[in-house]
Amino acid sequence: MRELTYVEAIREALNQAMAADPRVFLIGEDVGVYGGAFGASAGLHQQYGAGRVVDTPISEAGIAGACVGAALTGMRPVGEIQFMDFITISMEQLVLQAAKIRYMFGGKATVPMVLRTPGGSGTGAAAQHSESLENWFVHIPGLKVVMPSTPYDAKGLLLSAIDDDNPVIFVEHKLLYKTKGPVPEEPYRIPLTQTDVKRVGQHLTVVATSMMVPRALQAAEQLAAEGIELEVVDPRTLSPLDDAPIIRSVIKTGRLMVVHEAHRNGGFGGEIVGRVAESEAFDYLEAPIKRLCGLDVPIPYNRTLEAAAVPQVADIVREAKALVK
Amino acid sequence: MATRSKVSASANGQPRASKKPARADLIPTEWGEAGAIERLRKMMLIRAFEEKAEELFSLGRVHGTMHLSIGQEASAVGAASALRVGDYLLNTHRGHGHCLAWFGSDEKLMMAEFMGKESGYCRGRGGSMHIANVDANNLGANGIVAGGLPISVGVGLSIKQRATDQVCLSVFGDGGANTGAFHESVNMASIWQLPVIYLCENNQYAMSMPMKKAFNIPQVSDRAKGYGIPGVTVDGNDIVAVYRVFQDAVARARAGQGPTLIEALTYRWRGHSKSDKQAYRTRDEVKEWQAQDPIRRFGRVLKLSDAEFDGHRVWADQRINEAVAFSEASAEPKIDQILEGIFA
Amino acid sequence: MPKFGFTQESAEIVRWLKRAGEAVEQGDPIAEVTTDKVNMEVEAPADGILDGLRFKEGDTVPVTHVIAWVRGPNETVPPVGAALVAAPAPDAAPAPDAAAAPANALPVKSTPLAAKVAADLGVDPAVVAGTGPGGKVMRADVEAAAPIVAASQAPAGKVAASPAARRVARELGVDLHAVTGTGPRGRVQSDDVRAAERAATRAAPTGPTGPTGPTGAPATDQTTTGRPDTAITRLPLQGMRRTIATRLQKSYQEAPHVFFEAQIDVTAAEALRAKVNGRLPKDAARVSLTVVIARACAWALKRHPLVNSHLVGAPGQEAIVMNAAINIGIAVALDAAPDDPTGSGGLIVPVVHDVGAKGFEALAADLADLSKRARGNKLRPEDVMDGTFTISNLGMFGVDRFTAIINPPQVAILAVAAARRQFVPDADGNPVARPIMAVTLSADHRVVDGAVAARFLSDLRAVLEDPALMLA
Repeated sequence: MRELTYVEAIREALNQAMAADPRVFLIGEDVGVYGGAFGASAGLHQQYGAGRVVDTPISEAGIAGACVGAALTGMRPVGEIQFMDFITISMEQLVLQAAKIRYMFGGKATVPMVLRTPGGSGTGAAAQHSESLENWFVHIPGLKVVMPSTPYDAKGLLLSAIDDDNPVIFVEHKLLYKTKGPVPEEPYRIPLTQTDVKRVGQHLTVVATSMMVPRALQAAEQLAAEGIELEVVDPRTLSPLDDAPIIRSVIKTGRLMVVHEAHRNGGFGGEIVGRVAESEAFDYLEAPIKRLCGLDVPIPYNRTLEAAAVPQVADIVREAKALVK
Repeated sequence: MATRSKVSASANGQPRASKKPARADLIPTEWGEAGAIERLRKMMLIRAFEEKAEELFSLGRVHGTMHLSIGQEASAVGAASALRVGDYLLNTHRGHGHCLAWFGSDEKLMMAEFMGKESGYCRGRGGSMHIANVDANNLGANGIVAGGLPISVGVGLSIKQRATDQVCLSVFGDGGANTGAFHESVNMASIWQLPVIYLCENNQYAMSMPMKKAFNIPQVSDRAKGYGIPGVTVDGNDIVAVYRVFQDAVARARAGQGPTLIEALTYRWRGHSKSDKQAYRTRDEVKEWQAQDPIRRFGRVLKLSDAEFDGHRVWADQRINEAVAFSEASAEPKIDQILEGIFA
Repeated sequence: MPKFGFTQESAEIVRWLKRAGEAVEQGDPIAEVTTDKVNMEVEAPADGILDGLRFKEGDTVPVTHVIAWVRGPNETVPPVGAALVAAPAPDAAPAPDAAAAPANALPVKSTPLAAKVAADLGVDPAVVAGTGPGGKVMRADVEAAAPIVAASQAPAGKVAASPAARRVARELGVDLHAVTGTGPRGRVQSDDVRAAERAATRAAPTGPTGPTGPTGAPATDQTTTGRPDTAITRLPLQGMRRTIATRLQKSYQEAPHVFFEAQIDVTAAEALRAKVNGRLPKDAARVSLTVVIARACAWALKRHPLVNSHLVGAPGQEAIVMNAAINIGIAVALDAAPDDPTGSGGLIVPVVHDVGAKGFEALAADLADLSKRARGNKLRPEDVMDGTFTISNLGMFGVDRFTAIINPPQVAILAVAAARRQFVPDADGNPVARPIMAVTLSADHRVVDGAVAARFLSDLRAVLEDPALMLA
């Protein structure tokens, strides 16, 4: 099959969604002629014009609110927040408006919007351009949170997110943009809330998100040579979470490690661990559960420190061995 | 481009008394006698609704809190008079008046929402601060000060992309005008010339913060200059004046000439919410503004006798009592349906 | 007393601003009150004369309660004790159950001393039944409850074990204290439990012959398929049911079962039973056919001791233990609890010890006693231990023939079916109707070969058809 990079897969999904549905439009800072800070909308401005690829002032609350208002009145906006860090400025519109409008209005309104944003560290951009804030949104009923880890998932999940009648926070990763993988040319959809087992193994379940999925798969390759088989599970949609495959996997392996880049304190890993501990999988645990997460520290600038702040392949290998022993 | 007020304001924020024009100039011909009475009754219905809601609250039959717009009725009814079915409303949590003034509104469904009943506009999930009537393009009151402002940008964009001549009325208060959301929203609407009418109901206080202390300019409408759009200050207790100002703004919006910032000077007679001791203002000040009661003023314009005036109020009270009876007879939401409506 | 705030429940009257009898106008402040947040003024709701002040300054009044009346000049104030609350709030939706409205639960009332004692003893007053006025928890109540609460909270001694190990230990009935952990820091893993269970089973010279444990309705988990008439009941396999399941599955998987059937004419056995019963005292237990069969089995087992043996030891180190005593387990079906949706109370195998040394009367008494206590859940551990052979008699249910699963470490079990009248040839070849009973011996082929089983069955038939042989 044809291979695309992750960012190309996203662009193709945006293009196909806009071609198929005149209600879909893009809005964000520098999404037009510039093509988006990471190139996700490159060429779309030329193709669809300024009316459907809307450049905005530096107004993150305004972008989020514009998505809410357009979605409420029959459009299907796809907003972009240039760095996930800046989504903090959109929080009121996302948390208090987008997420709650449907419920507050007795289920009589829909807010079909997508807000794309790249998270994660590894680019040397330091503490205000490297955040992984996905769990802020996981905590909010009424928001869906999607975090693809491969080009294939990125395209299929983005098309589903645009189809969805609810507000979706679509978290991309700056380091994944250049990664390549097979992507079908035709539009296809991966259902939201469908956890994916990326690698089958019997010794340890590793639940990983976003950039940590390829790292867990690399670690699995190394460990396989030593006879340790990791089962790598990628939730893909963090909320609402499809936890059944995770629970099944833990029942099988008896061991669980959760790997994510976001800080451990109050991170998504705690949710996974909680679900497993509450489930029948508890009775199958052979070892304490491990959370391997970003350190509870602002992302440092220095290259070595930056790498040390989030899980790397070697960390996954080391912790997996300790658990399986 | 017109940028300043049709009605100037005195230093204390109250509209300066102006020479009384003849009656024919006061009542828009397109309203007619019947239309004018209808609007008077609408203001009375709002007043009666809020007074009843207040009574029910102090009796413990409505819970939570509420933000009453008693004294501000002319702004709501005057604005809606210049709009038409199909236009959009983004409202504030002091917006009971706008909700009742909006097209197709039903005080029964609104009262049922106050009482948390399944038959209410939001099935009892929203309450006073979140009343919406999405079917009528009333996109809801907002619990967040200026929370509706960024949303109105999206509504305006949507209208533009769908190439209709709808208009979005975006209401906020003097408090909301000092948020960052106000700036982002008005700026975006102005650069894209969106059909949004920004109505700032300046009722003199952001909770306890007086307008004078929160602004370094005489009027909120002065801000319009900074966005290159028209800004108008109007006597918000004069329903006809509000209507006239809106007519201009609506015409511009429908013609694709972009947003207008309208500042309606008015006053809330009650405290900010139900737990306000009102230490920041005097009883005399309240009484002064009560003399500017928009309903009585319009009654005088219509030259109604006391008996006629009271008769209309009786009609309003009757409607509201029926709404209360309807609400009390309505079912409570079922607990097993608590999770309904989170996701579509 | 008006409600001013979201969470306000009451307000204190700081000062009356008007006196009783004073004229007031609507909106006049009549009292200054203080809530948890601020001081507020209560305004006159109407024009009239203030009267009937219900509370004095300093009183705290719940919201919506009447504090005073504004009356017309000719009206009188309702008497104290009339409507205390201004107007009834409309009925709220009834809470579906107590759990849904925990915030409304009344706080536990206890005396300060009781509360202190409870804190010292680590007892939650909420679980103590109060005997004081109005159910108030007194010191004595706490002290009386303390040992009971303590017992229910007492740790049995903690073992570091994985959740999986705890589950497996539960299922196999293994005490985790006796298991050596091989995990990090000595943690017991599930495989450690399985290994310990295997070792214990094989090492036991005379393991328990039957599952024990209280019966009772298992916890159920009812779900419906959406159609109200097709409720599916899901029952966790637990307690006795799980013990039976585990043991029998293990037996059937590990012991190669071979089956031998014989048709036995029980005319003589029945005649003997009738004769003996006729001579028993009125209140003595009756001799059943099971008693006669047990006694006959003991006679045959004595002649074929391998059938009475045990197979014990870990794999590779198994040993056959030739038992000296002949202790026969009799399978007893237990009645189901009335609310048990399965209708089955399970199965237990009490053991009649030293059967060969006892007469019919003693055996009948033993068996009656054991059955009664089994059904009353009053068996002692020794009642189910040390069995060397088992009889399962389903004859009373009219079963024609069946096979049974061996109860390890025993090596054989006899399945007894119903006796039916059938025509069989007599000595002269003429058909005669006789009660014929099918019995099936299940034998563990690791220990009992076909010839041994056949000879045992042959002797069993011989002695049942001619019970006088028992004297031999």
